[in-house]
Amino acid sequence: MTLSRKEKPDEEAPAVQLDSVALRYEQGPFILKDLNLVLPADSIRFLTGPSGAGKTSLLSLLYLAQRPSLGAVKLFGTDVTAANRGRLPAIRRKLGVIFQDFRLLDHLSTFDNVALPLRIAGIAETEIKENVTELLSWVGLEDLMETRPAVLSGGQKQRVAIARAVVNRPQLILADEPTGNVDDEIGMRLMQLFIELNRLGACIIIATHNEHLVSRFDFPRLSLADGCLEEQA
Amino acid sequence: MIDLRSELPLGGDSATAYIPWLVAIMVFLGTLAVSGVNTFDSILQGWSRSMTGTLTVQIPSAASETSLSETTAQIERVVRALNATQIVDSVTVLSKSELNNLLAPWLGDDIGDSDIPLPTLIDVTLTDEAPQTVEKLRTAIAEVVPNAVVDDHRRWFGHLIELTEGFRLLALCVACVVAIALALTVVYATRASLAEFKDIIAVFHFIGAQDMYVATQFAKRTFLAAFKGSIGGFASGTVTLLLIRWLAQNVESGFLPDVSLGLSFWLTLPFIGILAALLAMVTAYITVLGTLRTMM
Repeated sequence: MTLSRKEKPDEEAPAVQLDSVALRYEQGPFILKDLNLVLPADSIRFLTGPSGAGKTSLLSLLYLAQRPSLGAVKLFGTDVTAANRGRLPAIRRKLGVIFQDFRLLDHLSTFDNVALPLRIAGIAETEIKENVTELLSWVGLEDLMETRPAVLSGGQKQRVAIARAVVNRPQLILADEPTGNVDDEIGMRLMQLFIELNRLGACIIIATHNEHLVSRFDFPRLSLADGCLEEQA
Repeated sequence: MIDLRSELPLGGDSATAYIPWLVAIMVFLGTLAVSGVNTFDSILQGWSRSMTGTLTVQIPSAASETSLSETTAQIERVVRALNATQIVDSVTVLSKSELNNLLAPWLGDDIGDSDIPLPTLIDVTLTDEAPQTVEKLRTAIAEVVPNAVVDDHRRWFGHLIELTEGFRLLALCVACVVAIALALTVVYATRASLAEFKDIIAVFHFIGAQDMYVATQFAKRTFLAAFKGSIGGFASGTVTLLLIRWLAQNVESGFLPDVSLGLSFWLTLPFIGILAALLAMVTAYITVLGTLRTMM
């Protein structure tokens, strides 16, 4: 599969910047405490930590599902903590999110699920057909394009979710356990896709507690424990 | 070509499932209300056409046989005076049998044999219907027969116009109430759908959809549901109107005014359904935009 850089990211601004970020739900305890992080546009990181360490909460801050209780989250140089609603869609289009629970739309076919980000971005149908067909072939789902997610296996759903996340050539990919439901061969192919996208300039954060996967790739690690973040080379 | 495809599931929620039925009822009521407005307009125009340029001269009944000849003379004087004005197109003295026929629906067929004193009526068609012309005629007739009554129907017709205008206004109010009820129903159904599809909407947002995109999805979906309902409402409304028309034709002519809903009305009828579907669509769009504004 050939990938081309769709939009040149701002070389100066880091893809992700966290300044003293803390998060708690309502009046509960802080789940994330005083996080500080700068990730350049072309970086790739594993995000590790035990269950309940706050990996998914940190990702939810990055894909703008919520705002931090304290501190500032900056994406591509824009402080999204203070940004108004109208600016968020443009920033979200630079993101590709792979959810742990896939969040596929059950009433749409595999093809339409993957095509959705392109349709939302107003891409022409001929271009959508070409890109989506190519991507689905690449992840091995070319025979299931008209199938609804409800009848797909966990691994197939995961591949659809990944295809949907990367179809728009995002500048920041946030993947929550992206290889959790696929076999080793598909897992390796998906990792190769992330590496290729990273080589083209995308920043990738892969949340996982699969130590086997982490050990196979020489990527720096962001380790979350007790709500605190530690960056390891 | 407008793309009506929606990325939201059609008919997937209970609230929207009722929209076609509700819109069908609203369009049915709207069709009847609009046909009511048209009917009253048609009646008013019909009466106006038949009354325009005419007046009636009444010569009171003769009290005795001797004065019968005096009445005949009065009629002749009035007809002469009318013809002398140059603004009269035709003068018709109604015969006794014609008068009896006019009164028969209220007083019975044997009115001619009764002793009830009946005035003589003279139908006058004018070439000029200006108020000053009528006044000129009134003066001319009063000079030759002082007790003759000139009726240009204005007072009677004025009350009738007020009554018909009232009905017309009432029908318009009903149409407005139907439209408001439709909009409120769509607001409720859209809010319920937003709650039901909040996970799908969240996915739309996460992949970069603007509020307008989500609102457009709801608007298309609501339009399709409403349009389906409006076809049903239009069909049942049309059948009802045709039935009423058929029933009205069976009523003795002369008792009801001649009302015909013209071709333009029948051609306008489908637009009520289209308007209802558009109203539902716009309402859904605005409701979604308003509701999403409170989310991140």
